[in-house]
Amino acid sequence: MSKAFVIAETENGARELCAGARKLADEVVLVSVGAPVSGAADKSFHIDVPAGNIADDAYVTVNKIYDAEGGDVVLGEQTLRALSLVGRLAAKLGAAAITGVSAVEGGVATSMYFGGTGVREAKAAGDVAVYTFGPGVFDASEATGTDAVEEAAFEAPENAVAKTGSEALPPSDVNLAGADAIVACGRGFGAEEDLQLARDLAAKLGAELACSRPLAEGVDWFPREAYVGVSGAVVSPKVYVAVGISGQMQHMVGCNGADVIVAVNKDKNAPVFKACDYGFVGDLKTVLPALTAAL
Amino acid sequence: MNILVACKIVPDDQDVKVAGDGSLDFSRAHKVVSTYDLNAIEAAAQIAAANDGSTVKAISVGPKKADDSKTKKNILARGVDELFLAADDALDGLDAFATAAELAKLAAKAGDWDVIVTGDGSADLYAKQTGVQLAAKLGVPFVSGVVSAEAADGKLVAKRLLESEEETVEVPLPAVVSVAPEFAEPRIAGMKDILAAGKKPMNVEGAEGAPAKAVEEVSVKAPAEVDRKKEMFDDVDAFAAAVKAAL
Repeated sequence: MSKAFVIAETENGARELCAGARKLADEVVLVSVGAPVSGAADKSFHIDVPAGNIADDAYVTVNKIYDAEGGDVVLGEQTLRALSLVGRLAAKLGAAAITGVSAVEGGVATSMYFGGTGVREAKAAGDVAVYTFGPGVFDASEATGTDAVEEAAFEAPENAVAKTGSEALPPSDVNLAGADAIVACGRGFGAEEDLQLARDLAAKLGAELACSRPLAEGVDWFPREAYVGVSGAVVSPKVYVAVGISGQMQHMVGCNGADVIVAVNKDKNAPVFKACDYGFVGDLKTVLPALTAAL
Repeated sequence: MNILVACKIVPDDQDVKVAGDGSLDFSRAHKVVSTYDLNAIEAAAQIAAANDGSTVKAISVGPKKADDSKTKKNILARGVDELFLAADDALDGLDAFATAAELAKLAAKAGDWDVIVTGDGSADLYAKQTGVQLAAKLGVPFVSGVVSAEAADGKLVAKRLLESEEETVEVPLPAVVSVAPEFAEPRIAGMKDILAAGKKPMNVEGAEGAPAKAVEEVSVKAPAEVDRKKEMFDDVDAFAAAVKAAL
């Protein structure tokens, strides 16, 4: 009997990973450091992290549960805290996690290389394979399992990190995952006020507004949830309108799932025109109002 | 405060060519410091600047080609005092477990340290695992996603930017902290900094042996191209009609 050991932080992550674990192993054991999760695994553990500790330090308990339960494959959720837990367990096993996995076939995991410049296939060299997955690789609704959740006591490591405060991030009004249409802005926007042109187009299309990395990290014109690309959101709307985005691989990897890609750029040689369905060469300041008016 | 900063020297992905068989050819790519590791170096330099008498030493592990004069000077021109580099083809393409083991050896050679700063993730794998593996190897605390940090009395008071919350933590030292790119924008090194960098100590060594692999690479290929229409318009009305039809 093969066994999968799932490490998750969010409930949705736990369900997705447990659904995926079912495809890779006969038995599924879940350890959650967020909310207790029932109905997703054959054995479900919950670690209640004390308010003064960080979930990352739950590794002492997680590793003890692994020692007791075992597992031929470890599936971790790709959140910062779960990545810490996965790394601590991998280190103990003499393993290294293969992260950002999009598929596992016969022990070979597929993930991106250089932000989508390449696709890498790799496999664990040791006895235990450790993978982490971002959201959306597996279907959370397919998860099945016991309703019983076992509480496992949090055991602090030596030199534990103290958590002294926490502030919820302002709820984001960005919802790229469910959007039918997305208008994404890139470096072609020279001034922040020009973004209004993109907002007008998005309003006409019923689209969400997104951006490429420089507009979320270089300048602060967008919240980071709005950034589409390798280390940001990966989206699959019906229509993706890339405005003033050159079309670097690192960005396109985030929107390649779109049914139709539309590009507006003043540089006719921009790589985005080789990766789009409908392209228009021109200054966004004239093209966007005209397009908005014509729709 | 004695600060170490770990950075990875990687091929510049702008120079990567796709070969006829779909494999990626990195042989002619220049070596550069992995993007987010530049933010880590800047973070280390800023923490040092805020604490009198601090030192910053960089540690790095990579193939023989990582021993590149321009890249080494680029690291040392950013507020780094000394470099410890293990460059050997036996150390090429290491996974996080093996990288952590090699970095731990370099950390031991670099002398006493209070904190090891790592970047968000490397340009090639972006696995975000080397920092935590290094912390596990050294038996010290680890936090990731750090956007600010202040030293206080044997501790680092840090803010972490997580998926849906910002957490304030006190990290007992010594520790490994992985910083988010938001911590600090990398500086532009001036000519004076680069000239001075050439005179700073660079300790370059080979491998003591090839570390065992925890992960085996099966293949690296260019991604399959998504078939797109590539239809160009010069009439806005026709363009608008095509966009409308796609909705």
